[in-house]
Amino acid sequence: METQKKPKKYMNPYLAGVLLGLVVVAANFVSGRGLGASGAVKSAIVAGVETIAPKHADASPFYHKYSEAHQGKPLNNWLVYQMLGVVVGGFFSGVISRRLTWKVEHNPGIKSKTRLIFALAGGILFGLGSQLGRGCTSGSALSGMAVLSLGGFLSMAAIFGTAFMLAYFFRKLWI
Amino acid sequence: MGPLVVNEVISENTNLLLAFFIGIAFGFVLEQGGFSSSRKLAGVFYGYDTVVLKVFFTGAITAMLGLLFFSLFGWVDLSLVYVNETFLWSTLVGGVIMGAGFIMGGYCPGTSFCGAAIGKIDAYIFIIGLFIGVFIFGEAYNLLEPLYMAEFWGSPRISEYFGISEGVTVLVVILAAVAMFWGAEWAEKLFPRDEY
Amino acid sequence: MKNINLTPRIFLSAVILSLGLIIAAVPKNTTTPFKLTAQQILEELKSGTQYLEADAIAKMIIEKDPVLRLIDVRPQSEFEKFSLPGAINIPLDNLLAPEFQEVLNQGLMTNVLYANGSTRANEAWMLVRQLGYENNYVLQGGLNHWFETVMNPAAPAATQSDDEIAKYDFRRGASQALGGGALVSAAGNSTDKSGGVPKPKPQGKKKGVKGGCS
Repeated sequence: METQKKPKKYMNPYLAGVLLGLVVVAANFVSGRGLGASGAVKSAIVAGVETIAPKHADASPFYHKYSEAHQGKPLNNWLVYQMLGVVVGGFFSGVISRRLTWKVEHNPGIKSKTRLIFALAGGILFGLGSQLGRGCTSGSALSGMAVLSLGGFLSMAAIFGTAFMLAYFFRKLWI
Repeated sequence: MGPLVVNEVISENTNLLLAFFIGIAFGFVLEQGGFSSSRKLAGVFYGYDTVVLKVFFTGAITAMLGLLFFSLFGWVDLSLVYVNETFLWSTLVGGVIMGAGFIMGGYCPGTSFCGAAIGKIDAYIFIIGLFIGVFIFGEAYNLLEPLYMAEFWGSPRISEYFGISEGVTVLVVILAAVAMFWGAEWAEKLFPRDEY
Repeated sequence: MKNINLTPRIFLSAVILSLGLIIAAVPKNTTTPFKLTAQQILEELKSGTQYLEADAIAKMIIEKDPVLRLIDVRPQSEFEKFSLPGAINIPLDNLLAPEFQEVLNQGLMTNVLYANGSTRANEAWMLVRQLGYENNYVLQGGLNHWFETVMNPAAPAATQSDDEIAKYDFRRGASQALGGGALVSAAGNSTDKSGGVPKPKPQGKKKGVKGGCS
């Protein structure tokens, strides 16, 4: 490990899972909805396109509908505030567990450039897929499963199933 | 009583403030669980670290049980809670694309923000990718709309779909998860990796 | 005896399995759909705010008020013999059928329930009110009263107040517009003082929680 003081160990995964579940319950109890992440990215994109090219945003139903649903303020969205919280919470956790370091995390077998190229490609695919699938791992799979949504279970199966099937082809990246 | 905002116990603005606090808890738990590390996340697909599977399923089951017990005690009206819609084809195709993105990028959107919060540069690049991906979808929306809207099934719960009670559904998921947890720990012994 | 090694996995598995068994065994909580207590319903019944007068309804029908929705709670056979213009039929027996919940639980229309008298419509109103549905009302006096007042109004004595006479004029006009028996056409200048009809209350966010991640 690069830092001088050793980072603390991660929490027991089952305990972390129980806490994560309680967060989902809290979100449903307070707001009647689950967690999400990609929705906040969508808000930012809609807001950005509206600011830079308002005519273009008006013409496309994708931007138009979303903005309308938020009274013309796409950034004033539950998920945007929640994602701001995620960054704060993650940072806070990194501080107390001494895990704050600037680094490109990758398997020693590959260069960091390779890692970054695949991170970008993975991000693009995830961004595209999350819009098509109406939510990412948190919004569709986790929160969907929490309310027993059929779509949530299908989403989870498709994401993890595909990743498992493709794991062999990308093994060089990780092992 | 709950959901608080639907029953107008709290205002819309309080709801947004609480979203921020819920987000803090979410980010904190993700980071503490090790979800800020792409190598830990990807480990589940090679068996050397199955933290994703354990946290994800424990989380989903805790949430299911929590909501059903809350409903049982009359604390939350589940009919007012949002149930994700099911558009069969877009869910499956989107899931497949996300799965490919997961194994290549090593993050999912929520965890990438968490990784970025503690300084992972690959997470920042992944987030840039996310923005590009969403933008591509926005630009190609007219092209993708037929797929996006196809096979709309409404918002069925899996229990309704199979015609069993919600409690029994959760029990089935629990049984599957207990088996998976056992398999995961066995896999971790089979494909050990100390340093990563 | 061999000690079981209580790893976190075994501990968690035991806990979620027992909770899962409990939740699978207990019946689903079905008490929550009832939003109003018996006391609250009694208060509303006493105040009589669920009643709308026949004159007010007649006026809305003539003016083709878009928010008015008449709901006939009598059996289908009676509905087919006679119904108010534009009414739909939800027999009291089928009131709780899922396909009608969208009609009864909404925030866009003013639903007016009616039967021959007041009783059956009132029963229907109490049921939907108990479920917390808004914007449902009862036609005061039912169809019987409707015929007495709107369709065949009795002429007021000349000594009665201007109010009464204006009311009579309106009813005659209304009955003609609605195909009733009165012969003389009235000015139709409806100086209606029989109390306005409440506008439908928007349902608020009750059903509109947007969630998901998209």
